[in-house]
Amino acid sequence: MIACVAVVGHQNNPLYLQSFTGADDALKLHHIVHCSLDVIDERVNNPKRSVITLNESYLGLLYPTESYKVYGYLSNTKVKFLVVTTDLDVKDTDIRSFFRRFHAAYVDAVSNPFHVPGKKIISRIFAVRVSGIVKAFAPGTYG
Amino acid sequence: MGREVAESCFDGLIIEMVSAYGRRFYATKPDLASRRIEAIGFQVGHQLIERYTVERPRFSDHLEAIKFICKEFWSELFKKQIDNLKTNHRVGTFVLQDNKFRWFTRVLIDPSSEDNEASQGSSSEATSMLLHFPCGIIRGALSNVGISCAVSADASNLPSCESCILFFALKFSI
Repeated sequence: MIACVAVVGHQNNPLYLQSFTGADDALKLHHIVHCSLDVIDERVNNPKRSVITLNESYLGLLYPTESYKVYGYLSNTKVKFLVVTTDLDVKDTDIRSFFRRFHAAYVDAVSNPFHVPGKKIISRIFAVRVSGIVKAFAPGTYG
Repeated sequence: MGREVAESCFDGLIIEMVSAYGRRFYATKPDLASRRIEAIGFQVGHQLIERYTVERPRFSDHLEAIKFICKEFWSELFKKQIDNLKTNHRVGTFVLQDNKFRWFTRVLIDPSSEDNEASQGSSSEATSMLLHFPCGIIRGALSNVGISCAVSADASNLPSCESCILFFALKFSI
């Protein structure tokens, strides 16, 4: 089950953070996302140590804690997409297709002329789309 | 999912935007008008590059980003690629040459004034106002991939629409 999704700008400013657990643990998830940002920076700046090819967008598993896994995706414009999930076995292809849809929704939200680049995304349609993508993701992992 | 608009609507919109900023909003301050038009282009380029770089591996250096602008980005915007790219590495300048700039193929510079010199001056002013928008687009696109630069454009022989050659000069702050 996906616990939360986050979009972080290129100056590590949060653009969107949404938790789907229903419980009041936004702060904890915020903290997890924040720690994952360091891992992303490390992966991007030290490509020799990681297995990921230099310029791929999908960064893979970043940060496994005792109950969560964090996956990362870096766009060409240095915008970071993070997903925190509680599932123990998640297929790579599922996460990749999730990020692709997430990225497409983000591009549509940012193309809004009233959106100020660098500020949080306040579009309700974006929130609805992301919830839809998250709901569509959950059953797929058991298939 | 994408809806389409006739290109002539878009041409009309750009011409009206430039004329509105140049003649109505900031009629006495052409510098301010040009900066506002360039800022509009900046935001457009910023958002467009987000859309066109989805699914693409990240650029490893400036040259790759510029080549992307010359090929894919230009094809999306103008249905053709940049015809010539020259660079001067030491100075950090790139010159993009477009031999048939699509937005200007229908621009008519009105030779209304009798005095030949005055009409020359106003025609170059009009073309330079029109150029700020594409310059802004390029600058916005590059800034979103992390490259800051100054973009200027130069149009030679504009009134002859068949061969309006445009040079965009990108200067990087190294």
